[in-house]
Amino acid sequence: MEKKHSIKDDFNMLALLIIPVAVAVNFVGGQLASLLKLPMYLDTIGTIFAGMLCGPWVGAVAGGLTNVVTGIANPVNFAFIPVNIIAGLVVGGLAVHNMFENWWKAFISTIIMAVISIIVSAPIVVLVFGGVTGGGTSLITAAAMAAGANIWAAFFGTEGIFTVLDRIISCVISYLVIKVIPPRTLVKFRCGSCYIKK
Amino acid sequence: MEKTYTEKIQIHKKNKLAGLYPSVKALVVLLYAICCFILSTVKLTEYELALLLIPWFLVIPVLCAASGAFNKCLKAFRAVSIVALVIFLAQSLLIPGGETVLKLGFLKVREQGLRTAITLSFMVMDIAGIFVWMFQTTENKEFSRALENSGMNYKATYVFISTLQMIEILGKNSKTIMNAQRARGVETEGNVIVRMKAFFPSLVPLVLGAVISSEERVLTLEARGFDVACEKTHLFNLEKSGIEKQVTFIAVLITIVLLVWRIYLWIA
Amino acid sequence: MDCVIELKNVTYSYPLTTVPAIKDLSVKIEKGKFYGVIGENGSGKTTFCALLRGFAPSFYKGDLSGEVLVEGRSTLEYGPGELASKIGFVFQNPFTQISGVKDTVFEEVAYGLENFGVPVDEIEKRVVEVMKLTDIESLAEKNPFDLSGGQMQRVALASVLVIEPEILVIDEPTSQLDPEGTESVFKIISKLKEKKKTVILVEHKIDLIAEYADEVLVFKDGSLVAAGDKQEILSDMSLLEKGVALPQVAILGNTLKEEGVPLKYIPVTEKQAEEVFSELITGKE
Repeated sequence: MEKKHSIKDDFNMLALLIIPVAVAVNFVGGQLASLLKLPMYLDTIGTIFAGMLCGPWVGAVAGGLTNVVTGIANPVNFAFIPVNIIAGLVVGGLAVHNMFENWWKAFISTIIMAVISIIVSAPIVVLVFGGVTGGGTSLITAAAMAAGANIWAAFFGTEGIFTVLDRIISCVISYLVIKVIPPRTLVKFRCGSCYIKK
Repeated sequence: MEKTYTEKIQIHKKNKLAGLYPSVKALVVLLYAICCFILSTVKLTEYELALLLIPWFLVIPVLCAASGAFNKCLKAFRAVSIVALVIFLAQSLLIPGGETVLKLGFLKVREQGLRTAITLSFMVMDIAGIFVWMFQTTENKEFSRALENSGMNYKATYVFISTLQMIEILGKNSKTIMNAQRARGVETEGNVIVRMKAFFPSLVPLVLGAVISSEERVLTLEARGFDVACEKTHLFNLEKSGIEKQVTFIAVLITIVLLVWRIYLWIA
Repeated sequence: MDCVIELKNVTYSYPLTTVPAIKDLSVKIEKGKFYGVIGENGSGKTTFCALLRGFAPSFYKGDLSGEVLVEGRSTLEYGPGELASKIGFVFQNPFTQISGVKDTVFEEVAYGLENFGVPVDEIEKRVVEVMKLTDIESLAEKNPFDLSGGQMQRVALASVLVIEPEILVIDEPTSQLDPEGTESVFKIISKLKEKKKTVILVEHKIDLIAEYADEVLVFKDGSLVAAGDKQEILSDMSLLEKGVALPQVAILGNTLKEEGVPLKYIPVTEKQAEEVFSELITGKE
């Protein structure tokens, strides 16, 4: 008989300490990506990592907190808090349901994550910022809009491709890290035992 | 008398606005944002532009200057203004609809574009601006203390503060690792694939190290009595600047006046 | 002598392992004594420390049989944080012993007392005292993350000592430090001995054990293979075969004795060696 799972159990000490790490990894990932001039943000690796290991609630907190913290320097980021919260929830939810156990499940999960994240960010980008935020893909969106495309279509088209790529790479990195964490550490995380080879 | 260590970690602010209690600052931010929404519904000129958002923005530089943090805020405001500028240009130039207001060579500013351009860009400027004021005049430990005072769990504030420190530490470490990888011959320049390949060896060890450290830090915290169920002592104490009541009163008053005026415009 | 910690037939294995890290271990820790714990890597020393403090199994999970009693009560019965005031714990890695939420060394050291709800005035007094003891007062206003490894380790020691636990478990505090850092840490450890604290110290540097310990516990493959007075243990040549590095002077002493040199006793520290050999020389004259 398995004990009923409570959210409080999710936030054990180790999970609490993983949250700052996750946020910092988001931050550093984004920095590194722009330092290496990669055409991607790669700023949700930490959120994905936290969700994959500790489940949806910890993932959501890591995601939300990332934008709160970056919002201190640039309050525009506050508008995207929901996007990152939901990203954490989704990846954590998928992890809890063992959706990262093999590569094809992981691939489907990645697509689901990308699709949901686009669906959540679309209304924010379009309604709050009019479709163009000044970020990397803005130019393409703007060009598509100038060419007469509908603002929503322009957003989904350009952002879509980049988000899917971004999520695939982020998941691969999280997975690589999880694979090298020693099993006796992994078992202390809620979803950790899913990644131990039996 | 020489100051004690406990005294040395306190924050005393001479400026009364900068020294406002954090929750009062938060209230000011909230009311200012509400006023933004009220003002954005007032359409002026034949093109129905929300022009009042522009003078309303002036509140921010005045507030920052009065708080003695003008230069600090200006620096932080750069990122916000870039976003606002991009929004303004994209909206005014790209959205078709309505008559042409302005012609710049082959570019046309249309009525509808100008309308969304002004509303969106100044909403972003205003609301982001007031947050800039709050964050640039308040230190992180003041925030965390205020959050804890207002009933937030100490574990949550631990996570918040530790996150800020962790960003600094991992930021430093990532540079170290990246330099080490470069020294080992990992290419960081070249085409996208090459640069992409450099991303992995730079990030994976960083994350791994941080995770392993977290495991040990759990025990450290436990050894320091993090879990002890008792009233925690705080060496750092928040101070009030003394004008909290007045500021709250003024902010509420302005909001009510604006609201009443707006309703009057609707009825009349 | 009062017994403060007792292990009764303890067997413990980490999760996902089949070989227990500690096998049927029974030992008594007596109040006010200094215990040196030695043995090869992976012999169970660190696990032993984790068991004493209750981290195993509360944090490491895994299977425990037998009992670990701290002041007569099983570690499993202690509530969260309760053991923190009784047993101080210092780890190998100085970096992970920084709380991560404080901007100055003073606040870092005070953090434990804040958690225990100690009044502000008392905190200041106790922190200053312990900073003097650990020789970090000059660092009081620095950021803990800007310190060297040795300095960080001293801050970690101070942060634990300030809570004033009667028992201290110190797990290889100098393994990641340079000689200078090692010396500064051992200066503090010798002060603990003067204060008659109960200390359980894991340390590879055998000469340091010989100098400070009263009793020595020798681990091999998860079992206690020898335990007792340091003089006796550290001069026991049979332990060499069990992978224990004995002090050079003890080996020399044993060899000389075998060859018929009439030593008063087998020395284990330099100081004892000086005494024994000078007596030998003056006696011959």
